[in-house]
Amino acid sequence: MLWLYLHFPHLLLDHIRRHQPPTGALVIVDGAGHFVVQACPTARDLGIETGMRLKTALGLAPDLNIMRADPKQEAWLLEDQARWLYHYAAHITLAPPDGIWAEVSSLQKLYGGLPAIWQTVEQALTERQLTAWVAIAHTPSAARLLAHTGKGECTADKGHILTALGNLPLLATGFDKKSSTRLQRLGLNTLGEVFALPAAELARRLSPELLAVVQKIQGTRADPKAPWQPPHTFRQRADFIQEVEHSQGLLFSLQRILAELEEDLCWRQQDTDTLLLMLQHRHEEPTRLRIRTTGPEHRAQVFLKLIQLKLDQQPLRAPVTSLVLAVKRFTGREAPGGQDLLGETQDLNEAWHTLISRLQARLGEQALKQLAPREDHRPECAWSASDVRKPGKPYRIASGQLPHRPLWLLKGPRPLLQTPVVWHSGPERISGGWWDGQRVHRDYYIAQLPGGELAWVFRDVQDGWFIHGWFG
Amino acid sequence: MSELLSSLLQDARVWQGHKHRKTNQSAEPTGYQVLDNQLGGLGWPRGALSECLLDTCGIGELHLVLPLIQRVSQEGKTIFWLNPPHTPYAPALAREGVSLDHLVMINTRDQNDFLWTLENCLRSPVTGLVLAWPGRLAGRDIRRLQLASEAGGNVCVLFRSRREVDQNSPAALRLELIPGEHQDLKVNIIKRRGSWPGQRCSLALGQRADITNKESSQVVQGPWSGAGR
Repeated sequence: MLWLYLHFPHLLLDHIRRHQPPTGALVIVDGAGHFVVQACPTARDLGIETGMRLKTALGLAPDLNIMRADPKQEAWLLEDQARWLYHYAAHITLAPPDGIWAEVSSLQKLYGGLPAIWQTVEQALTERQLTAWVAIAHTPSAARLLAHTGKGECTADKGHILTALGNLPLLATGFDKKSSTRLQRLGLNTLGEVFALPAAELARRLSPELLAVVQKIQGTRADPKAPWQPPHTFRQRADFIQEVEHSQGLLFSLQRILAELEEDLCWRQQDTDTLLLMLQHRHEEPTRLRIRTTGPEHRAQVFLKLIQLKLDQQPLRAPVTSLVLAVKRFTGREAPGGQDLLGETQDLNEAWHTLISRLQARLGEQALKQLAPREDHRPECAWSASDVRKPGKPYRIASGQLPHRPLWLLKGPRPLLQTPVVWHSGPERISGGWWDGQRVHRDYYIAQLPGGELAWVFRDVQDGWFIHGWFG
Repeated sequence: MSELLSSLLQDARVWQGHKHRKTNQSAEPTGYQVLDNQLGGLGWPRGALSECLLDTCGIGELHLVLPLIQRVSQEGKTIFWLNPPHTPYAPALAREGVSLDHLVMINTRDQNDFLWTLENCLRSPVTGLVLAWPGRLAGRDIRRLQLASEAGGNVCVLFRSRREVDQNSPAALRLELIPGEHQDLKVNIIKRRGSWPGQRCSLALGQRADITNKESSQVVQGPWSGAGR
């Protein structure tokens, strides 16, 4: 078996720089805020190094941008990397906090050799503007060691790998402190010299645990790695060094996240109809926006337009420190239909969904309604309004069975203030509603008012006269 | 003098009535032969605004566009109703053979939303017909809508108040609707493309309330003692 290990030396830094145009020197400090953990190239040019005290760093660069490392966020980021790597390799294992294993011996045939795999991964890293040290070895631990020291090579030759491992100094092996000290006292300085020791002696004189570590590196002891499964949700986060005050400023990172979402959806062959956008503020509750499309959708452009509309409607309450875009609902993609081979006829189905989504995003979902008749004798109950759906198969109501009714119904009966000039038909008695407490007992007439309009008027039990509709 | 006249005639800014060109714009028949004849055999223009100017609802204005609604909804195109003054009554529409699945009602909060929505509806290829009740409209807004309408090639009917008869409007067709004595609808053509305005006709729309003349005498005259209160 061959294992590829990706070591991300400054993942958080890459992530932040990816989501914001370069703004100057940037460092990541540890949780307590005392030491520099990661420094960007601009900062390194100014003389800042990892492990330096923050005060010293600030002395070197007074307008330094500082971000605090957050273990939870690092875990998220690592998952993100696993997600794209999963496009290329099936068996992936996470190595928190900053590495990923991928089993590659089974992929050689697919990609046509180890160099091709190496190249593919390197290219993917460049596309994502990520820094990673890559190494290949025959055991997971060996791959990790080589990657950490940056000595990874594209080779499947076991002897070559063992030589490279053997040349590693003991300090780089990551053994526990006590064991390394004892080994050094024994006069051993490289890993190769430790490999040469007899196993039984190593376990007896040092510790069985150390022997296990060494054997795992050598490959004489089993080191199973459970495969990672991609989550069934999409979640991406962008952090801003400088708070964003206008919604326009969010678009840069949204574009990138949406492009990744589109890629992810294409790769899964899925669509979605709901995006959740969470904007975090420094001192306030986060703003949660729900962006809905009317139909299944996967294109980044469409999502971006809808989000823009939503943000236009709802200005930012406070400056944004970070944003999270999450998708939890996925639907399987339907076979594209309606479009001809040459793409000359417009896909009306798609255009319909686009238009309705746009309107709903700006006006609110309640603003759009569809009407349907309902089985009830009372005029105000004989219709219903529902949310907009894509029209299905046309059905026809037997029109002869429906009574004659006006095309306009008033929102509520309005008192009749003018004496009608002509009476046309009536009375039609409508009495009902005793079953649900909204009793209606009316005599309906069609009458022409002095203005020339035809009205549907009724007289109720108390002898009051009302207009209920217009024959428009 | 004739020299002066001929130089004037050469000027493109002088409009010459006898040279009116036949419009080649596409149109939808109104479904009323009398009105179609008055409109030069065309009907509702596509890709342009039409305006109906009326005082009150209930004079047959929906029946004027009903043949078009029926046809468009059966073609499977969407019909948008923007800010209708009352509720379009679903049972009555269903009775007239309108496919309700293709009707979308939109209510907007303010004038900006209204114009934005109308423009979007007009530009979309899924739209077949837009019926809109805009309230007051500024001249430049109508101009903007007219451009959107040209881009989309849909029929758009704006229902506006008769007070705006004298207002200048870029709409391609303007009809003034006045209720007649016998439940009919008098249509005055205020403006149309490609010909002189001023034609008028009357459409019998009594059937909208199922009225035939002989029936009216059989109506039970309501106990109209409390009238006028």
